[in-house]
Amino acid sequence: MRVRVELFGIPRHRIGVPYVMVCLDSETARLCDVLWDVARQFPSFAEECMVEDRVQVGISVNLDGNQFVNDPETVISAGQSLLIMSADAGG
Amino acid sequence: MPSSPYGYHGAYLRIQLSSKSAQRVVLQENALRSFVGGSGLGTYLLLREQVATADPLAEQAALVFVFSPLVGSPLTTSAKFAVVCKSPLTDRLNDSLASSGFAIAGKRTGFDAVVVTGRLDQLSVLTIDNGEVDFHAAADLAGLQCDETEQLLRTRFGDEWRVASIGPAGERGVHFATVSHDGRHAARGGTGAVLGSKNIKAILVRGTQRTEWAHPTELVKLSKSLSQRSFGPATAKYRELGTASNLLVFNRLRALPTRNFQQGSFSGVEHLAPETLSTTRNRTRAYCDACTIGCEHIYALRDSQSDNDPGVRLEYENLFALGPLCGINHAETVLQASRRCDELGIDTISTGGTIAFAMECVEKGMLEASWLRFGEPKALLQAIELIGARRDLGSLMSLGSRQMAKQIGQNSIEFAPQVKGLEIPGYEPRALQTMALGFAVGTRGADHNRSGAYEVDFSGKVDRRGAGPESAIAAVDTENRAAVMDSLILCKFLRGVFDDFYAEAAEMLNLVTGWDTTAAELELTAERIVAAKKIFNVRAGWKPDEDCLPARFLQEELGDDSKARLTSEQLASLVTAYNQARGWSDEGFVESEQLLRLGLDTI
Repeated sequence: MRVRVELFGIPRHRIGVPYVMVCLDSETARLCDVLWDVARQFPSFAEECMVEDRVQVGISVNLDGNQFVNDPETVISAGQSLLIMSADAGG
Repeated sequence: MPSSPYGYHGAYLRIQLSSKSAQRVVLQENALRSFVGGSGLGTYLLLREQVATADPLAEQAALVFVFSPLVGSPLTTSAKFAVVCKSPLTDRLNDSLASSGFAIAGKRTGFDAVVVTGRLDQLSVLTIDNGEVDFHAAADLAGLQCDETEQLLRTRFGDEWRVASIGPAGERGVHFATVSHDGRHAARGGTGAVLGSKNIKAILVRGTQRTEWAHPTELVKLSKSLSQRSFGPATAKYRELGTASNLLVFNRLRALPTRNFQQGSFSGVEHLAPETLSTTRNRTRAYCDACTIGCEHIYALRDSQSDNDPGVRLEYENLFALGPLCGINHAETVLQASRRCDELGIDTISTGGTIAFAMECVEKGMLEASWLRFGEPKALLQAIELIGARRDLGSLMSLGSRQMAKQIGQNSIEFAPQVKGLEIPGYEPRALQTMALGFAVGTRGADHNRSGAYEVDFSGKVDRRGAGPESAIAAVDTENRAAVMDSLILCKFLRGVFDDFYAEAAEMLNLVTGWDTTAAELELTAERIVAAKKIFNVRAGWKPDEDCLPARFLQEELGDDSKARLTSEQLASLVTAYNQARGWSDEGFVESEQLLRLGLDTI
């Protein structure tokens, strides 16, 4: 399966690219599997944006622009987009 | 122990301009503990002035500058002041905050607040020197920009003075004119018009009177800890990118108000994004006094004629309001427009909102001004000049979108982007529905600083496009926390660093004042402050139907997101749930039982 991971705010600033394509050998995956694959491609993502299986404080994850998800066991399906962004929307 | 609580002077300065007199008025400890400082204490003082029914620009109207117990302490982000008055834009209570050196110098004059009432007979400058008040004719300052005024006055009086001033827009009574200090603004609701109506171009403060802290050693230790936490991931966005980095996120979620709220995304957004701007032009960072975050990101203007040009402070709100909201995707224009708003002393959100509204009126044939079109950079800049000068169409636009719609008629009020007259900030209500509720019930109108309900929409705790009763509880919670932060006063960009906000806020307050405030007491204080604002509004004529959104948001789905729909029945249900969660009547009145519980029965 392929998942498009779009990066905004601090995650984009840390990694330096606007999006990452994740390819996994299954039809579905857990959120943490997708995050770890991003970290495999960009080690700084693990260091700067993750704590264990989750994104760290100050960062949030959204699925397809619809639902914010926190649970690392959340099921991600092929073709979905994951948005990783700075959590605080204050302006 | 001092005669007043630690952290306070225990008095405010009341200046009656018409008689050119000033008096020191004692503030009882009970009042200080009940309202803390900043927005809370300002609301209390405005209620005491009994000006709720006065015209905001009338001689008897009052304007209050308020400091706080934390000002002057080593706690990061605490150098802030509030400007509280009745708004000419909304006819309701208005509390705007700004940073930074003015707060420290103002408190050193020996007062916790300065109440200004009456009117001078000519344009003047007011000085407060260690409690001594003086008035200086200042006809020569007429028409000067905010930055020019501040620079000239510090040259004239001395560099140790701190200056809060108005620009030409405040002198001319633009209803969304600001009070400016050091390039920052108490921006919303027309504080500058109120000061201008009193013929005051600027207030200068200096002093040597410090307040003591009850537990200085522990306070310094806590301050170091807080500063350390302010360097962590919870504030990284503000430090490294600034608030403008919201732009691409909001655009992706279709929550970016575009073309007067007709769409939630903007095709030219990448041209304006800080991710692009930072690669194509110089950027520097700036800090408020006593701040460790440094959220200000200042971008160079390409067309500047000066090597010493200070650049333009770019925030999400001026970026959205002067960019996508007006259909502008030209970065240099947005930066120039932001600069011009700062110079003239006008609120960028209300400026952008009012101009975008006018553009849509032109588009719909309701207004004859064919030059004023969405996406036209020159039109935006020209409209700003006209507003600042209150000339031609600018005279109408200077009243804000609600008053403008009333004069245009033709049901244009249905798409005037305001609540209670205050233009809506950069959060599309249909796409962020807990925020929509926060806008509807906000005492100063549509506002993202007194209600941080967008936090909930971005959390996954609610369905952001299908708000239910849980949103009402969340709206109350975020509004309460904001009331305490705005009264302590601490910067909201710190909020992510607290594990237990009320407990930690109580600890700060206690270390400064020596009180034994508990988290529960501070939560009650928050309720009291929000209710006190509502009481002011009720006295000013508030009616339940004001707690609503314009028809556009309740009748039209968002142009580019069919899931983003909000009905009037749904919003009404949320407002009722909010009122019930507050313990108010279903309509939103604060009833006698609550007044007693909150100690507001005699106010």
